[in-house]
Amino acid sequence: MARACKTPVLLRDPAPAPSAGNTGVAGRQADLFQQAPPLEITETSRYSSGLSRRRSVRRLWLCLYLPRLPLEAFGVPENGPKNGPENGQATHPSAARAVVEERQGMQRIVLPDERAAESGILPGQPANAALALLPELVLELRNPLRERQALESLAAWLERYSSFVSMAAADVLLLEIAGSLRLFGGLKPLGREIVAGLERRGFDASPAIAPTPLAATWLARGGRRACVCELENLLPALRSLPLDCLDWPPATSESLAGMGIGNVGDCLRLPRDGFAKRFGADRLLEFDRALGRLPDPRRSWRAPERFLRDYEMTEEQDDSRYLLAICRALLVSHERFLLERQLGTQRLRFTFFHLKARATRLSLGAAAERSAGRWFDLLRIRFERLVLPEPVIAIRLEGGRTQALETGTGRLAFNGRPRSGATCSMTQLAERLTARIGAEAVYRINSVADHRPRFAWRMSAALAAKTADAMPMARHERRRPLWMLPEPVLLEAEQGLPRHRGRLTLLEGPERLETGWWDEHGIARDYYTAVDPRGVRLWIFRDRRHRRTAKTAAGGNRRDSGWYLEGIFG
Amino acid sequence: MRHDRASLDQLLENPRVWRGRDAARSPDGLPSGYEALDRQLPGGGWPRRALTEILVGQYGIGELQLLMPALAQLSTEDVAVAPGWIAWVAPPFQPYPPALQQYGVDLSRMLIVRPKSDAEILWSAEQALASGTCAAVLSWPAALDDQAGRRLQLAAEKGASWAVAFRPLTARGELSAAALRVELRADGQDTELRILRSRGGRPTVIQRFFTGGREPGRT
Repeated sequence: MARACKTPVLLRDPAPAPSAGNTGVAGRQADLFQQAPPLEITETSRYSSGLSRRRSVRRLWLCLYLPRLPLEAFGVPENGPKNGPENGQATHPSAARAVVEERQGMQRIVLPDERAAESGILPGQPANAALALLPELVLELRNPLRERQALESLAAWLERYSSFVSMAAADVLLLEIAGSLRLFGGLKPLGREIVAGLERRGFDASPAIAPTPLAATWLARGGRRACVCELENLLPALRSLPLDCLDWPPATSESLAGMGIGNVGDCLRLPRDGFAKRFGADRLLEFDRALGRLPDPRRSWRAPERFLRDYEMTEEQDDSRYLLAICRALLVSHERFLLERQLGTQRLRFTFFHLKARATRLSLGAAAERSAGRWFDLLRIRFERLVLPEPVIAIRLEGGRTQALETGTGRLAFNGRPRSGATCSMTQLAERLTARIGAEAVYRINSVADHRPRFAWRMSAALAAKTADAMPMARHERRRPLWMLPEPVLLEAEQGLPRHRGRLTLLEGPERLETGWWDEHGIARDYYTAVDPRGVRLWIFRDRRHRRTAKTAAGGNRRDSGWYLEGIFG
Repeated sequence: MRHDRASLDQLLENPRVWRGRDAARSPDGLPSGYEALDRQLPGGGWPRRALTEILVGQYGIGELQLLMPALAQLSTEDVAVAPGWIAWVAPPFQPYPPALQQYGVDLSRMLIVRPKSDAEILWSAEQALASGTCAAVLSWPAALDDQAGRRLQLAAEKGASWAVAFRPLTARGELSAAALRVELRADGQDTELRILRSRGGRPTVIQRFFTGGREPGRT
């Protein structure tokens, strides 16, 4: 009631139920429009408040511009095993570093780090000149692949803040955040969290918020920590931006500068048709998009569903401890990848690249798993016996198809909680055995309701995510043997009676099994239990079809007795 | 006198010295399901957390049947309180699921492991035993020297698991670290069970353990 008194207009609202939600949105807006005066709800502003509510549905873009990405890509913590999670680029605290690039056959500085900049090294300088200034300068050749990977890892991380993350350029990330404000408690906490997270990851970002993606990008490039939430306020914010924030070709910017036009506001004062003629309609459309006059659809970036990461070494290595440390770092980033998606995988593949020999591959299997520690455990078992033909120059880790992790334990009979004192779970034991001796050599067994002895059971992989429930067993009247031979063995016969290491004594039988007419494995057999002179009890059968054919063949082959040994009563 | 006492203590601390009376008192055995056998075994059944060797001249004289009641009991224990798997390492033939079910064994606990080399057989058995997730590990090693046997024994203790190794009769004269050695001999239609060595018990012979060719009398 007290709340209703504060906002008398709501009292008059014909539909009270949705209005409760509306107050929430209005409150959020007041928080969001930092420059705007606090919303005063009066009779007349009721409609405008409804209007602005509709506006708030409109998107709000957070742009993160990463000006130092070429340098930071080298120091992304998860790229190297030695780098701890915190010390992004502080791995060589003593050495000044700079990224260089080949331009017109000459190495030029792209970006110096702080220490290098202090010594007077500037972007665009030839590498030799920079080395003359600072002989101990460490030069890194610009690596676009690494930059891309760094950007992707950031995008994957940012997916937790927004359902719509877009890569606008090689060093620009865009997030649609209007939908996330409520969850993260408003614009300020969200922005703070993102910027702090970037810093933790060793990235220095210049953020900006605007209602259109292009405007946000320009503002971010301009280095203004601008936060424009209303479309009306956009124009004033953009006006003073210098033209080089627009990332236009240098020729365009130069000719504009020659006309005495230095910022966006000057551009917007030019006649539209003349501007379009001179600089192309695309440039004009860019302004329209930035100001929200034209729609600007963006492509949402989706994190790949499979993990793939390379680690390249500067020189060949054959120290297994070093290689294992790199594998471990790869597994940790793999775990992080899966953790962000609440997924697990059953297969992993390591590829060790050599300079001359063919790459060595190593596949690992487990029950749905993501823990780096457990994968590493399996890797070590295999790695011990892996023969590398040559030292390794690069390692790649590929994740298998991902699947949702089973969170509930104890549902499956074999998935129970390990007892106190157990060093691993039942699944883990199966994983370790599989890792060393192969997936086909570790299996589980189940029975199948079929009267044909060969079809009355089947094997299943020990690591199958789901095991078939135990089938109802066919009711066997008589004992079945505990040992089954891989194939029935033909027995010799003497006067119609089977022999196996001497004459067999038939103890029980016959048990007639005549079934399976529906497929090509039909049988018609009389089964007996027999015991041989040494006391071994055998399960033998006489093939009734065989007897019929033998009769027609008038004697037939003497050795072809029609008696077979199928199992042993262990 | 004091000196003698000290040296005796020292001697008793040696892990290779084992005192019979302590173990005989513990009724910790795993009931074998055969009364005649349980009576002879210290603890009233198969020794848990230890290695049992079963010496057989040939397969098919009841060596698996001997274990079935115990395996059936182990396989139905709740995984939440007891280790779950029953591992078969390098069995000579395929264990036949319908027959296992007839003996009341839960198939979902069976794990069949078929290593390719002898070293892998021992490795797998040791891993399975020491993991603490196997109620029993049955293995058929081609050879099991004293040291390997000791390793299995230690792994069984560590993982609180019942280790069973099937050996040929020729292994009878070899040194063994097993807590229990049992020999099965089939003579015509009767099978005789000999306890060759039993920690805390004494060697005995149970004649006509499995009798006739008939379904062996399970008591």
